[in-house]
Amino acid sequence: MANDPVLELVGLGKDYGVRTAVQTIDLTLSRGEIFGLLGPNGAGKTTTISMACGVVPPSRGTARIAGADIRTRTFDAKRAIGLVPQDLALYDELTPRQNLAFFGQLYGLAGDGLARRIDWALGIAGLTDRAGDLVKTFSGGMKRRLNLAAGLIHEPTLLVLDEPTVGVDPQSRRHIFEAIRGLRDRGMTILYTSHYMEEVEELCDRVAIMDAGRVVASGAIDALTAQHTTGGVEIELDGDEAAIVAAATAAAPHGASRTGATLHLEARPPYAPAISAIEAAGARIKRIGARRADLETVFLALTGRGLRDA
Amino acid sequence: MPATLVPTLRKELLLLRRDPRALVRLIVLPLLFIGIFGYVFKNAGEKQGEARPIAVWNGAGPAGEPLIQGLAGSKLFTVIPAANADAVEAAVARHDQPVGLTIPPGFDPAHDHRATLWIDPGEPPQTAGPLRGAVIGVLTRAAAGGEPPKVVDVRAPAGATDPLEGLSSFQLTVPGNAVLFGFFIALTCALSFAEERRSGTWRRLLAAPVPAWKLLVAKLVPYVALGAIQVGLLFAIGALGFGMQINGSIAALAVLTVGVATCATTLGLLIAALSSTEKQISSLGAVLIMIMGLVGGCMFPRALMPHVMQQVGLFVPHGWALDGYYALLRRHGTGFADVLRPLGAVYGFALLFAVAGLRRFRFDQ
Repeated sequence: MANDPVLELVGLGKDYGVRTAVQTIDLTLSRGEIFGLLGPNGAGKTTTISMACGVVPPSRGTARIAGADIRTRTFDAKRAIGLVPQDLALYDELTPRQNLAFFGQLYGLAGDGLARRIDWALGIAGLTDRAGDLVKTFSGGMKRRLNLAAGLIHEPTLLVLDEPTVGVDPQSRRHIFEAIRGLRDRGMTILYTSHYMEEVEELCDRVAIMDAGRVVASGAIDALTAQHTTGGVEIELDGDEAAIVAAATAAAPHGASRTGATLHLEARPPYAPAISAIEAAGARIKRIGARRADLETVFLALTGRGLRDA
Repeated sequence: MPATLVPTLRKELLLLRRDPRALVRLIVLPLLFIGIFGYVFKNAGEKQGEARPIAVWNGAGPAGEPLIQGLAGSKLFTVIPAANADAVEAAVARHDQPVGLTIPPGFDPAHDHRATLWIDPGEPPQTAGPLRGAVIGVLTRAAAGGEPPKVVDVRAPAGATDPLEGLSSFQLTVPGNAVLFGFFIALTCALSFAEERRSGTWRRLLAAPVPAWKLLVAKLVPYVALGAIQVGLLFAIGALGFGMQINGSIAALAVLTVGVATCATTLGLLIAALSSTEKQISSLGAVLIMIMGLVGGCMFPRALMPHVMQQVGLFVPHGWALDGYYALLRRHGTGFADVLRPLGAVYGFALLFAVAGLRRFRFDQ
């Protein structure tokens, strides 16, 4: 069924001895959705993914992938998942074709079917021309793309991407984004974890933010940012640097702060005195709008600014 | 199972083919050791067969002649005449000769006027004992004027196989080094587990729809095959290149070789389970394998070790494996029945390592 959930995490949790890595998580992902899973280091993202993929047995709850329970129909569930680990989980001394053939065979692919899938995955990774070279000769970006292809080889229903763009150049990042969108357009569901907020904002429809082993917020990005908007006004200025600095100085007594060519006014109306001061300073106002929170603001508001070294 | 085993076997062999260090460790090094030790022991053996020099001063005239003729006639000794008794003592003290004999004037053993045998106290006990025994035996026969009455008959027990002719030192060095370096497959196997964990491929494998035990077995079987091929290749080179004889059952030899390879591979699993980094595996594995090889008689035959050390050698699979190999190489007609104990012990060790390794192995790491 098109609307059936592709991934359901139901009361999923994990303990390692007396330490709780993941408390209880309930999440549902729909077909054709790109879902972002965010959280600081040690929040429990990788453990959650590992449980969902059947790599780590859960201490409580379960995960269902395309209707198959990971506890009772383990192999059906695993066949529906493609895992792209944060590590470059590849054999450096093999070629991309040999890597993909090996991983494909573990999913029961063989013969012409396997060869077609390898060609398809290499095409998505943009590595068709380098299919016969040893992986150890590849750049970081090429390895990342091959890492993605290895998770796709069996064309899974759910693709789990764990930090898929760490250490790649902008071109490879762009290629990976386009590949992910293309897969989504084919109906694939994607669970995406990243520390890069702008990536998640660009790619994902919905997100969940984890901290200390639990989900502290989830929903559509627009809804989350709206919830954390503190009010105020954003004024985008035009003109030379000197005029913008002069405008910022003039508006400062009225609660203005500057980021580049944008002034942020605190939520302390009336705003007319600030606007008058800006105009009097000689800057030209290009746009005035309500001040909005971005995903990073939401993330920091929910998880705090303290360093996480776990 | 074949759906997992065949691709894993192909993958492991491809990876090993591109790992020249492993090939050097598994094939080139043992061949070097076999060659070097083989020729060293060969020369040592030839040296044992050579006549040993003995400094002799005869102050007794005709009464001492039978002793000198006895020594020379035994072909065990080359008589080096000395000017006087002091010269004999000095030659032995200077290590010019390992042994010396002075026959004093009035030599008459029947009335306690005996000759003196001088022996270099620095001579190793392994050679000093036989040397003293040989000299005294020859001199006693010579003094008695012929062969003494025979006290014992020397016979082989019923069922014992015939002694072989032309046994070379490679009969010892080939199996010794094949077993020693055969166990290095444990290191290669353990390192491959560490590499899978480090690179994250193990996690990717665990996410595949294959039971974890199948992944583990598929990962181990290529190393058993590779280890058996390695040891088999070393035996083949030993037989064809160094003239080593295989006189027992080839089938029993093959089963024992598979046992050794299985034992080495499961030891690799245990080492991987006990270590978390490649550095730990390299240090723990190399030390463990060398000590086991030393105790088990791979570098120095257990038969020449003190009794206690001979027994200690049976606490490692190497000792049992070599007992089995020596029996199969040296004796005509040796079959499965003759090497059941070594076979049982080697496969028993393999099982022990496998159980201990599985108890400690963390699949989810």
